[in-house]
Amino acid sequence: MKESDPLLEVENLFASTNNLPILKGVSLTVYPGEIHAIMGRNGCGKSTFSKIIAGHPSYNITNGEIKFLGENINSSEPEERAQSGIFLGFQYPIEIPGVSNLEFLRVSTNARRKFLNKEELDTFDFEELVKEKLELVKMDHAFLSRSVNQGFSGGEKKRNEILQMALLEPKIAILDETDSGLDIDALRIVASGIKKISNGQTGIILITHYQRLLDEIEPNYVHVMADGQIIKTGGSDLALELEKKGYEWTDNFLKETN
Amino acid sequence: MNIIEKIKTNKLIDDQTEIQKICLHKLQSSPLPNPKSELWRLSNKSKFSNFLDYSINEKDSKFDMPYPKNSHSTIRLIIGENFKIKLTEKNYSIEQLSEDELNKYIKEQISCFDQNENWSDLLNLSLSCAKNILGLKINGSKIPPIEIFSHASSNSLNAKTLVIFLEKNCEIKLLQVNLGKENSSLSQSTFFCLEENSSLNHGVVSYGENRSNLLNSLNVIQQKNSEYNLGSLHFKFNYARFEISIKQSVGNAKTNIKGMQITKSDEQISTYTKIDFNGPNGFLDQINKSLADDKSHAIFEGSIIVPKSAQKTDASQLSRNLLLSNLAQIDTKPQLEIIADDVKCKHGATISQLNEEELFYMRTRGITLAEASKLQLSSYFQEIISFIPVSKDRWDLLDTVLNQN
Repeated sequence: MKESDPLLEVENLFASTNNLPILKGVSLTVYPGEIHAIMGRNGCGKSTFSKIIAGHPSYNITNGEIKFLGENINSSEPEERAQSGIFLGFQYPIEIPGVSNLEFLRVSTNARRKFLNKEELDTFDFEELVKEKLELVKMDHAFLSRSVNQGFSGGEKKRNEILQMALLEPKIAILDETDSGLDIDALRIVASGIKKISNGQTGIILITHYQRLLDEIEPNYVHVMADGQIIKTGGSDLALELEKKGYEWTDNFLKETN
Repeated sequence: MNIIEKIKTNKLIDDQTEIQKICLHKLQSSPLPNPKSELWRLSNKSKFSNFLDYSINEKDSKFDMPYPKNSHSTIRLIIGENFKIKLTEKNYSIEQLSEDELNKYIKEQISCFDQNENWSDLLNLSLSCAKNILGLKINGSKIPPIEIFSHASSNSLNAKTLVIFLEKNCEIKLLQVNLGKENSSLSQSTFFCLEENSSLNHGVVSYGENRSNLLNSLNVIQQKNSEYNLGSLHFKFNYARFEISIKQSVGNAKTNIKGMQITKSDEQISTYTKIDFNGPNGFLDQINKSLADDKSHAIFEGSIIVPKSAQKTDASQLSRNLLLSNLAQIDTKPQLEIIADDVKCKHGATISQLNEEELFYMRTRGITLAEASKLQLSSYFQEIISFIPVSKDRWDLLDTVLNQN
């Protein structure tokens, strides 16, 4: 028996886009302080799963339920989910030309603070806060004056995602391939940022292909996803096993079960 | 069409000036533009007819300034309200053109006018009485920014004309504001003559009220080594046309244009530009943006003319358009007419909607759909608004526009 209530409960989730089924019965429960890793080959539904949790309007939930802090959020707007503490770190962070990164971060942070009944921050107070958080991901202050993600390298974009996570202080963070496109140093910076931000109250779902991120952040559970389903769950050893065996066995597994 | 009937029967104006006589004569045989011509085929006929339904008003009612003059260094002029202007300072002078200078220049222009292509100017000059024609000669340097207002009165048609000679080596920032009133039509024609080495940063901001109409025409002649920069914004008109004609008369001149029109409800706003390179080494960088919402209609037609004498011309024209509703309509046609063989000319057009992935990204950070759309639109507007001189420091144009949308 777990001592606290779950943060996120996904029960038998089926979802589709343009009438094409993508998720075919995913169940996953995350408690405070837990780190879950979802692994699987390209196209197995990992990113779709993360977008559906965040409320992407292009996907339809056809069956099942997503509960956050005990509440069904199947039909909540993306901003409502974000304000209440769900964070999605994008695999490919979006560039928004003309929108200043600083202003974007401030508006986002204030939206979350408003939800938490905390005082909204003016530009000066926000500058103080962001300065402190920049340290976590070793980002230069100059990035704030640029447009959101525009002209950022792949690594800088990922660090900007973690900066946003630090500012929003989510209850649960789903990090979609945050390690892709990062060199070893950048990976360590990002991983250390994630570890510093998360605490015993935060849940983390890491979506990744590789063991190297999991060397830095050890998960409590590793789930293997194939064809829109979680086909196996284990401890951190399962990731090591995948690293050795690859994903071919997942095809055989699916053939056998179908 | 009240006005057209009066033009036909020559009962429009009693004491006609020489200019008015010439223009009315040009219009009498064929008082309307050709609705099948490229320049007029998309024009909404009933809205155009509504423009011409009001009767002429030569006397202006007092109007409320949209924002206070908060800088002593800005020169503010209102067409129709300034009688004698003569400002002579150490570094510059601004004085009114004499009647002879004004008549000579306007007559020269009219002599090249085509009834269809220059119909808006012919109508304007037929209707503009001497009081509503402001002619200025500007000379010198370190000239304070200038604001010039034109406004219509409710339930009438007002015609205002502005003529400015920018003398050699002169450099100015000038903001023109055209204000429509409820149920009104404003005809505004502007003529600029930029002498050698002169530079004009020109802003045109036009906005109306309920059922305002506008015919806004701009004619620029650039001599060599002159630079003309235009930032323009038109919004909140039932019907508005912005016609821009720029001629680099001997080449070797620079032109930069950043324009934008915003349409809502069932409004129609169009921009027609004609850039004529009449000599070598001319430069143009033009971007025109439209944003159409509800059941409105935005139109852009741009033509760049590069004859054989205009070798080494470097011209670019881009039309970017954003459709915010399934019922809104955008027509865009950037076009090049090139005879010279050693030129660099490009043009393009895009029509899109608000970027869904950008919106989703912002929403996953807790920003509401309305706020995210506003942020996206502000980035769309920013490029144009930051190019409009004089206004940006004191007048939060962006907020005005965003709050309207």
